[in-house]
Order: sequence, then structure tokens, then C-alpha cells
Amino acid sequence: MGETLEPDHIAVRAPQLPGPFAVGRYARKLQEEMRRRARVLLIGEVTGVGRSKVQAYFELRDGEGAVPCVIWLDDLEKAGLPEGSLRDGAEVVIAGGPDYYPGGGQASPSFSFRATHVRLAGEGDLLARLEALRKQLKAEGLFQLQGQLRRPALPKTIGVVTAESGAARRDLLAGLERRGWGGTVVWAFAPVQDRHAAPAITAAIQDLAAQPQVEAIVVTRGGGSLADLWAFCDETLCRTVAMLRVPVVSAVGHERDSTLIDDVAAIACSTPTHAAEAAVPLDCGTARLGLERAAAVLSRAAEGAVRARTPHLVALARGPARALRRERLALNQKTREIRAASERGIAGRLGFQRRVAGVVLERAARRAAGAEMERRRAALHRAEVALRAHEPERTLERGYALVEDRQGEPVTDVSAASAAERVKLRFADGTVGARIEENR
Amino acid sequence: MSEKPESYEAAVERLEQIIDRLDSGQAGLRETLELCGEGRDLVTYCTAELDAVGEGLKELKLDELAANLAASTEAGGA
Repeated sequence: MGETLEPDHIAVRAPQLPGPFAVGRYARKLQEEMRRRARVLLIGEVTGVGRSKVQAYFELRDGEGAVPCVIWLDDLEKAGLPEGSLRDGAEVVIAGGPDYYPGGGQASPSFSFRATHVRLAGEGDLLARLEALRKQLKAEGLFQLQGQLRRPALPKTIGVVTAESGAARRDLLAGLERRGWGGTVVWAFAPVQDRHAAPAITAAIQDLAAQPQVEAIVVTRGGGSLADLWAFCDETLCRTVAMLRVPVVSAVGHERDSTLIDDVAAIACSTPTHAAEAAVPLDCGTARLGLERAAAVLSRAAEGAVRARTPHLVALARGPARALRRERLALNQKTREIRAASERGIAGRLGFQRRVAGVVLERAARRAAGAEMERRRAALHRAEVALRAHEPERTLERGYALVEDRQGEPVTDVSAASAAERVKLRFADGTVGARIEENR
Repeated sequence: MSEKPESYEAAVERLEQIIDRLDSGQAGLRETLELCGEGRDLVTYCTAELDAVGEGLKELKLDELAANLAASTEAGGA
């Protein structure tokens, strides 16, 4: 390492500055400086009110900081505030400027804002503050965040921040039941109208959001003046809501857009009843009816699709059979035609062949015996076999039947069969009568 | 069911698409039967979701919910 560290007691050389001055004189100078600063109006919430014999003291604060304040009791009396209204949680406007008490031999020095006048903040003061805060949060993009979250149509568990005793709680429950919703409501009760309200509501919202089952959070309270609802304009509370990953439904008071939480929440409602509808967007009774209808549509579609195609499928199934019957009829017709032609040809050829055979046999007889005789006899036998194959009786022996009318003429087509009415079926071993019943 | 829907609303949206397609009359027999099967699965899922919030409203305080959660976590770990 090799580094040499300077000992602590070696003082760093003091910078070249004016002085040193006596501190008492400096303190008085500081007091003069402070008192020369511009007098202004401040607005904020009163906390830590106390009184001495001659003056009242308190802190004036908001979400970003605080200033210790004092006011002479004479000035306080002149302000004409209603009795007891300078109390913790009161929103006030004070007039005055910074002051510094240099202390004394025994008394400690202190800084304070010396108020010379005080009044309760009016609606206009609060609205001006609200507007400034609204602009700031909007510029930071905090109004869009919750709106981008998915709100489940049918949450199973919702969290609710509200006062334990209040109409808002009852109205919200009634609204949920009217929805036909029977899930779980998780209550996180909090004061909704004093200086403890904003931090308590903020903590309740954070605690609910930390529960994995909670799918949406409702923040609600009944109506009131802007001062009554002021906790719901708290900057920390609104920043917390804006950054949550769970959708928040706000239903504070009855006036739309009167509180800042309405701007940062996923959805703002005018009443707890509307908040119930926003937290559970689905009307369960209507949804059940819709599902029943959908199920009926599906059943009809499935049955209808099969039924509509049945005739076509049946027709397709019958196609081969019809084609087969057509082919069979055509084949039978051909067979009949061939048979008729064969019978006509055989009669002619038979006479000719018999004549030829007679000549041949005569020649054979004349040539008497010998090898030539034997060969010619064999050839003659083959011719005879071939001839027999063409005789109609051979066809009948193979299972065919010849249809003849009463006169013994062959019936070769359907119209002839219908005309004949009664026919004879000639088989190889005999003939039977038959009646034509139907002409298809 | 081939795949569990992402949410109730996703299931209903798909169900509406299926019914629109069936109503169009453009689906063939095979597609119709497949869509009907998928649609029936979605109806079953949605009905179960509605049944889960259909047994009467329950109320819990936040600390009770947290205690229940802690107890079930312990039971799961035991």
C-alpha cells in the first residue's frame, strides 16, 4: 500500500472568509435578514397545535414539507376563527413571513414563520391546490397507468378500503349482491376524514395490493365538502394508487372529478353502488343466461350440421348401388343381344357345318383306316366340341335363364316383358311359368 | 379441454367468435363439430367460474385474509 494517512488531529486549513464575528451579533443580523423577506400567504394542514401565555404555535405541512409557525394570541383573536377551529388536521391559510429568534443567555434560538393572520382554507384555496397537484401528476403521466391495467370481468376476491361504520360499506355490499356476485370481500377499514386518513388509506391500499388473491380494490366513502374529502387528494396516496399493479376503483363523494384519486384510479365512480358494478363488471345472472343460450346454439349447430348433410350422405351412399344396378341391366341386355345373335347364327352355321361334316365323314369312310383317319377323327371331335359350346343349352347350364313369351319367342327387353305379362323361364333342366308384376 | 382460457372474458370472447362462425353457415361439417366441441369446453369453464362466485358473498378482514394465507403457506410447507 505505502500510503501515509494524515492524523485526525491535524486540522484542515480554514478557508479565507470574513470574520470571525461574535455569534450573538450574527444571530441578530440573521433575524433582520429574515424579517426583511417578503410576506406571503401559505396554505397547508395544521399539526401539533400548542399554546404559551402569549402565542400559539403549530406546524403547517403538506406532502412535501412543513414550516414551524407562531402567531401572537392577540393576532389569533383578531382573526376571528370559530372556537377550536385551529386544530390538528385543519386546512388553513396564514399570512406572514419568516422570523428568527436569536435566543438569549438561557433561551434556545429558533426559526419560525411569524403569522399575523390566519383563516380556514376555503373551497377556492383547496381547488387551487388541487389543480396545481393535478397538473403535476398529469405531467408525470400518472393518470394513465391504472387505466392500462386489465380489470377482470369476474374477480373472485376484491379488497375494499372504507370506514368501518358508514353507508358506503352497506351500499357497496348491496351493489355486489345485485350483481349476483358471491365472491370474497376483504375489508381494510381506515379513517376517511382526518389528518390520519391519508396515510392510513395509503397503507390499507398497499396491504390489500400485497395479497395475491385480491384482483381489484375499491376505495370509497360517502359525500362531503372538498375539505372533508381532502385525504383523497393527498399526493402520497395518489402516487401510491397510480403505481399499483392492481386496478383501483374510486368512489369518493358524489361529485365526479372532485378528488385527485379519481384521476389516478383505473375507474372513478359517483357512488359505492356504481363502484360495485365497476369492480365486478359482469352481471352474473345475465352471464348465466348468456351461457345457457350459447350452449343451446352449440347443440343446435352440431345436430343441425349432421342433419343437414344426412340426405347428401345417404345419396352418396346409394350412388354405388345405383351405378351397379345400371351396369347390371346394361350387361343383361348385352347378354340377351349376344344370345339372340348367337342363336340366329348357330342355326345357319349348324346346317353348313353338318353338310361339311357329312362330306368329311364320307371321305373318311372312303379312306378307310390308317393314321390319317385317326388324325381327322380327332380334328372332327374338336370341331364338334367347339360347336356344342355355342349351343344355347350350354349357356343355360351355366345358370342363365331364357325368358320366352307364351308363343316361345324370346323376351329381350323390359317393354316386351311388360307386354307379355306372363312369361316362361327356360332353365337348363326345364321351364317354369312366371308373371311380370312390376315394371321399374 | 385442450387449453385453459386465460380468463373468463377471453373465454367469452372466443365463444362469441365460435358462434359467429357457426351462424355464418360457412363452416364445413368437420369444422362445425370441432367448433361445437371447443365451445362446449368454454361453456363448461365459464360455468365453473360463475359457480366459484355463486355460493354467497363472504366477508373477511384484511388481517384474517393474511392469517389464512400464512396458515395455508405453513400447511403447504409442512
